Formats: sequence, structure tokens, C-alpha cells
Amino acid sequence: MRDWISRSLPFPHFVLTPARLCSLLALVCLALSGLSLATQLPVAQWAQALFVPDEGNIDQLLTHYSWLPRWTIALLAGGALGIAGVLMQQVLRNPLAAPTTLGVATGAQLALLLATLFAPGLLILGREWVAVVGGGLAMGLVFALAWRRGLAPMVVVLAGLVVNLYLGAVSTTLILFHQEELRGLMVWGAGSLSQNSWDGVLYLLPRLAIALVLAGLMLRPLAILELDDVNARSLGVSLKHLRLMSLGLAVFITACVVSVIGIIGFIGLAAPAIVRLLGARTLPQRLLWAPVLGALLLTTTDQLLQRFSGALPTMIPTGATTAALGAPLLLWLIPRLKLGGDRPHAAPMLTAPRRRAPGRLLMALGLALAVALVASLLLGQNGEGWAWPSWAVWQATHEWRLPRTLAAAGAGTLLALAGTLIQRVTGNPMASPEVVGISGGTAIGLIVVVLFVPGVGLPMLLLAGTLSALATLGILLLINRRSGFQPERVLLTGIAITALFDPLRSIVLANGDPRTQQLLAWMSGSTYYVDTSLAIVVAASAVVLTLALQCLSRWLDLLPMGNSSARALGVNVDRARLALLGVVALLTAAATLVVGPLSFVGLLAPHMARLLGASRARAHLLAAALLGALLMVLADWLGRQWLFPQEIPAGLMSSLIGGAYFMWSLRKL
Amino acid sequence: MTPLSMRGDNLRFQLLALALLVLLAGSYNASAADTPRIATVDWTIAETLLALGVTPVGVAQTDAYREWVGAPPLPDEVVDIGLRAQPNRELLAQLAPDRILLSPMFSTLAPSLGRIAPTDTVALYTPGSDLWTRLKSATREIAAIADHEAEADTLLAWLDAHLALLRQTLDTQDISDRPLLVVQFIDDRHVRVFGEHSLYNAVMQRLGLENAWQEETNYWGFSTVGLEALAKLDDARLVVIEPLPVGVDERLSSSALWQHLPSVRRDEVLTLPPVWSFGGAPSAARFADHLSHALIDDAKPPTHEAPDA
Repeated sequence: MRDWISRSLPFPHFVLTPARLCSLLALVCLALSGLSLATQLPVAQWAQALFVPDEGNIDQLLTHYSWLPRWTIALLAGGALGIAGVLMQQVLRNPLAAPTTLGVATGAQLALLLATLFAPGLLILGREWVAVVGGGLAMGLVFALAWRRGLAPMVVVLAGLVVNLYLGAVSTTLILFHQEELRGLMVWGAGSLSQNSWDGVLYLLPRLAIALVLAGLMLRPLAILELDDVNARSLGVSLKHLRLMSLGLAVFITACVVSVIGIIGFIGLAAPAIVRLLGARTLPQRLLWAPVLGALLLTTTDQLLQRFSGALPTMIPTGATTAALGAPLLLWLIPRLKLGGDRPHAAPMLTAPRRRAPGRLLMALGLALAVALVASLLLGQNGEGWAWPSWAVWQATHEWRLPRTLAAAGAGTLLALAGTLIQRVTGNPMASPEVVGISGGTAIGLIVVVLFVPGVGLPMLLLAGTLSALATLGILLLINRRSGFQPERVLLTGIAITALFDPLRSIVLANGDPRTQQLLAWMSGSTYYVDTSLAIVVAASAVVLTLALQCLSRWLDLLPMGNSSARALGVNVDRARLALLGVVALLTAAATLVVGPLSFVGLLAPHMARLLGASRARAHLLAAALLGALLMVLADWLGRQWLFPQEIPAGLMSSLIGGAYFMWSLRKL
Repeated sequence: MTPLSMRGDNLRFQLLALALLVLLAGSYNASAADTPRIATVDWTIAETLLALGVTPVGVAQTDAYREWVGAPPLPDEVVDIGLRAQPNRELLAQLAPDRILLSPMFSTLAPSLGRIAPTDTVALYTPGSDLWTRLKSATREIAAIADHEAEADTLLAWLDAHLALLRQTLDTQDISDRPLLVVQFIDDRHVRVFGEHSLYNAVMQRLGLENAWQEETNYWGFSTVGLEALAKLDDARLVVIEPLPVGVDERLSSSALWQHLPSVRRDEVLTLPPVWSFGGAPSAARFADHLSHALIDDAKPPTHEAPDA
């Protein structure tokens, strides 16, 4: 793998090792820092500013209380996230595991949101403790969900992802209704490193020292996790306890960092992945180099940012920038990343007993959908309270309710289909349209247009969304062509593209532009902006595509059996994957334009369908489509009625309902 | 003694506002029958309508209006029509207003709300135009729609006269000539600092006060910066607009950088009660009052005697 990298560099005989990369980066970082400090303060005063700043000299004070703490905390936080990332990737045996994957960051953010709104007294006791408790509870939930399966890596990541989405949905709901009060948390959420005393450093330093010592003590048993479960168990290691302890440690480190400077997610993913690629194979090597690289990455990014963003009226938080810079790096890495194959790989697909006759299931689901549609159209509140179904209600409200209900049903169906396809193609229960990045890509295009073209209309938005969805698909295909569209790589590319969307959203939110309300509403999946013609198009294409996709059910039945079996049965695997991915992209883009990028339904509906016993592709597709429509219609209706006259977007509601159900079913898996 | 040197600036402002409302109420009664029933999603339009003596039938997020805009007070009978970005159309249709007013921020709502009632967009913030001119023309546009044009003339004339009076008073007082740095705290490390194109800046210009923030600002007239950006403006005097986010007060007292900011060291930070940062004429008048008062109270010799009970 090292050859890969060196071959792509201009010097063919130069082999890049972790040590060499870190030295290079350290030089760049030191040069940048030196330059920055020199413009801030004459070199002769550096020592004085560090130890005893002159109270009357504002430059020295700034250096002492702002520049130096910021520089130090960047190093500390980057290093800490590197360690946390190594621990998580080691425990979960998953190169995609990162401190944010376990829901710690969102848990901490939610705790702070709740405390700010409902118990501000707690914040005076200490924000960091609130964040630690929130992050800890989120992690506890993840562990509780994965406990029955002995904290198996796949299940932990799956549970983490779901908890993440769930808590994220709750946070977004709160932000939507309390935008003015929660301004501060927007900045924090985007990961701003700016400091105005040494308090943050003094808080982080002892905690990280303890964590580092503990990680050192666990080095030997952790190395055994390189083996698969059976082998490790035969060596007498209590897997549950070991995983619990090391994950707990990683989460503690993450929570400390998050509580001081906010969410800086990418470093924890990138640093361990890069050092592994550069040849740091053993655990001690990775535990040494990942924090060093993490520290340097974060500090260099921060220095660059301070250098070039000074002139902008927009604040660009460092945490968001690392994510934005990290995504292209990740995209570059993916074709070079060795995934699976090198170690025993066991990804248990979620399964349930197969039903002999899915017809009855489909009938029941169809009936439930019909009832939900009628209820959604006729039952609701008005200025005087609840109004019972009547012709008068229909006449007064169908103009507003019909497009939304149709659009919700249509979008739910499209997302469910996309989710079914992608879960079957990749054989990965974690997959969903959101993970493939098309939702994120579409969203990026739409946000850019809304922010830079004032007063833009719907047709323009539709065009922009479609173009960015196609561009995203193009990137996906370009990067994955060489690997023959291997499932894991496609997912990874998707995550990287989604990672580009997050910082953009964070920057927008952190700057408190009052226009964010509308963006936020769309991003959280509201059917509010849908008009009748769009609704009809969406609903009609949902029906047509559900039927059309039945033709692809042979591919969908064969692909999950593995490449060789499928090939042996006469499927052109590459071409089939390509075609299916194209369909997924179009389905997702269409749905995203209507209800925003929040597509929990795409993950949920195929799952529920499978848990209900629809295992053959044909039944799976139909059941998922019906479930997707049902979920979205219910979510849309509940969202409109719960806090009347204020509305909770359908995407958020479906995450709230669907997430709860999903976690429950995961627990008894 | 000028009226401004009296204590209890809030009370005084309320009296003035009351006088204005009484003045407007006379004409309001005369034209009440013709006044269209107006619904709006925008708080600035809502406060302008109220200042013109028109009570809107529906306003978005009424609770948040009361918290963040506050004055002029929103009467209880005003119906909450939901979120600003997503007013509840079923409820609006039931209210059946004669007109609906939007700001450009929510202009994507216009086509669908237009099916309920004629919908107009009134722009207060337009890049490249002078905010004060826009504020006046926006007030007149709103007044024209509400059929209260005479009241708009009264309101704007009063605003100009009031600011001129305040400026005169400020000129006669011995206030410090430091440029002002108007900020709102986001958290203990970040502030919104208001510069060109902001309402606060426009008011300060009218009062003859210098704004220390000369950097580029965004569409809404503010920049989001870390505290350290303020430290470099040696000369500037900080004006903090409340409310402070929870816990910021405590954390600032332990923040070394804050304690060392030039303004804080000189102990001359002014704290003003909340004023809607993106407001119209009423917010402008309130901000002018609060600011002048704070400056004048502060300029008084420390031996100032408390008024007799």
C-alpha cells in the first residue's frame, strides 16, 4: 500500500512514512505559527509574553491569553482526537469508526442545548460536565443497544449511527424553535478554537494525561483485538470488558475535547486512517503517530485559517474547516485504502425469519397507508381546536394538506426504495441514501444557491439541486470506477461527500444569518414548500418507480450472495452495481428536493420491511415502499399537529418516531 | 436640566411612546374602518405596524417577539401564526387577513401565501443601499399598505426630531469621545459586532457617535468575531447589548482576555437593555434612547446625588 502512495508522489524513491509525514507537517506548522506570531509580536518579546506578559501591552496580552492558549489547545485537541480515533477503530475493527460515530458529540451538544433552555443553572456549575454527561449517556445508549450482541463491532457502529441521527434530530428540532437563544451553541457546535484564557488548556491537559496512561496500559490486550472474535476469545480475553473499557476511554477523551472546543470530528477519523495507510501497522505505532498527526493537522489548519480568514466578515470555525479540508483528503485516500480482506471480516446482515406468504403483509401495509392518508387529509386542528373529519374541513384545507401529504408519501417511497437498493447492493445494514452522500451533495448545491442568489425561486432551486445530485453521482463514479464499485468504497466515498456538507451547514449556522431559519426548515425535511404540481410529480414517480424496480429484483436477489456467486449465475456484477447506484442517486435526489437531506426513512423502511419478514427482493421493495410512505405521512401529520400552529418538519418527526422504533428493534435483535 | 438627565430612562421612553401612541390613536380611530387586517411573519414589520397604530391580526412566533423585540408590546389578541419561515397556512386561511406582509428573507413564501391574501414584500435590508433611507421608505411602504400614511410621516418626523434632540443633548454633555464598539455576546468567546449596514450604526451616525468597527460586515450589518478581535481596538469603548447568554457573565469574570480588554480595564463598558438588532423605526428610537442615556449617565461626575425620595 505504501507503494501506492510513493508512486503517486513526484519522487519515485521517496517512501512516505508516518514519521516523515509528521516531520514535514511539523515544519510547515512551525513556519506558519512562527510567521503568525511574528506579525503579532516582535520576536524579542516572545519569552516575556509567554511567562509574564506586560499588563500594559495589549499585543503581549493577546499573545499570552489568546494566541498561545489557542495554539496549545489545537495541539492537545488534535492529539486527543487522534488517540480516541485509534482506540475506536481498533475496538470496532472498522476504518470508519470515529469519535463522532458513537453519538458522543451529538449527545454532548443535545445536553448543552437542553441545559441552556431548561436548566441554565447547570451551565454555571460547568458546561464541560453537562457535555460529558450528555456524551456519556449517548454512549451508554449505544452500548445498551449493542449489549445483547456482545458489543460486536458492526452492531456498535450501527447503534452509534442511529443514536447520532436520533439525537441530531432532537437538537435540530430545538434549534428550529429557539434560534435566538441558541446562537452560542451554534458556534460551539462548529468547533471554534478561539480561547481567551488558559482555562481550557488546564482543563484538558490533566485529563488527557490520565487517558494516555490508561491507553498505554491497555496496549497489549488491545492488540489482541486484531484477531477475530473467536481467536481472541480462545486467548482468554474478555472481549466485552475490553471493548467497553477502551470505548469508554475513547468517549471520555472525546467528551473532554467536545466540551471545551466543540465538535471537531474529522481529525479522529483521518489521523488514524492516514498513519495506517503510511505503514503504521501495529497498535503501538498507530497510538504513537496518530495523535502526533492529529495534533499537527488541527494546528496547521487553524494557523492557515487564521492567516486567510481574517479579512472575511464571516467567522469560519476551525472544526468545520477540518471537516471541509478532510473530506477531499478522504476522497483521495479511498481508492488507496485497503478495506476488508486484510483481517477477518464478519458483517452480520440483519435478518429475520422469512415469511412464506408476503402477500398478507403487503395487504396490511397497504391498508394502513390508506388509513393514514385519509386521516392526514381530514383530521387536524384549526384556530378553535380539533376539527373532526367533514366535507367542510376538506374544502377548507385540502389546498394546503393534499400537496404535503402526497409529497410526504412520495418522498417516503422514493427514499425507502433507494434504501432498499443500496442495502441489498452493499449487503450493509448501515447503508442508506444519506450515507451514499447524494442527499448531502444535493443539499450543498441548494445551500450555496440560497445563500448567494437572493430571492431565488423554486425552479432555480430544482435545477441547482438536480445538477448537484448529478455532480455528486459523477464524483462517486469517478472515484469508484477503478475498484469496480466495491460496496465499502462506495459507502466511504458517500460519507466523505456528506462530510463536506456538514461544515457548510455549521458555518451557516455559526454565523447566525437570519435566513438560516428557512434553510434549517428545509434541511430538517419539511414538506412546507411543496406545491401541488411538484407533489403530483413526486407521488406519481413514486408509484411508477416502485413498479418499474420490480424488474431489477433478480439482480437484487443475487448481488447480496457475493461477487462470485452472482457472476456464476450470469450477472454482470459491475454493470449491475453501476445501474443500481444510478437509480439510487436519482431516487435520492428527487426525494431530497422535496423533503431535504434528512432521510432516516431510507435507512428505516428497508429494515422494518426485513424485520417484518420480507426477505426476497420483490417483497422487500414493495414492503419498504409502503412502509416508507406510511412513515412519512404519519410523520408529516404528527409534525403539523403536535405543536400547532408551529410545525415540526416531517423529516425530523420521522427520525424521532422511526429512530425510537429502530433502536427498540435493534435491542432485541 | 434637560429631560434626558432624568433618572429612569425606561419610564421616560415609555411616556414618550405612550404620547406618540395617543397621538396616533386619534387618527387610528378615524380610519379604523378602512384599516386592512394585516398578518406578517416579520417582527420588524410587526413592530412598525404597532408603532403606526395598526394591530396586526397575526404575527409569527409571538412569544419570541415578546422576548426579543419586546416593544411596542404585542396585544394579546394577536394570533400566533407559527414559525417565521413556515407560517401555518391553514390557520392563516382561517384568519383571512386582507394583506400579508413578508420580508425578502421569506419571499419564497409569497406565491403560496398569495393564494390566501395579497402578499407584499417589504425590504429593509438591501445590500448597497443606505439603511436609514431604506428604513424610512420601508416604513412608508408598510404605512401605505396599512392605509396609515399620515401616521408614518408623524412617526418618521418624530424619530428625526427625537434623534436630533438626543444629539443636541449629547453635544452639550461631557461624554467621552471614544469611538464605540457595539457588540452582542454569542458565548463567552464570541460576539456579533455591528458595523456598516446595521441599524445600530445608522442610529449612531444620526447621534454623531463614531463606530469603532470599520471592518466589512455581512448582509445584516454585523461580523461574528472572537473576543481577541476587540482587544486590538485600543481606543474603542465597548457597548454590550443584552441579553447575555446564560453563564456568560460568570465566565467573563474569570476570562483573562476579557479582563484585559482596554475598555474593561478602563471600567467604561456600557450595558444596554435588549433592542431588536434588525428592527425598524421603533427599535431605532429605543436604541438611541438607551445609548444616549448610558453615555450621559456615565459622563456625570461620580459624586452625583440620588434624587430625593
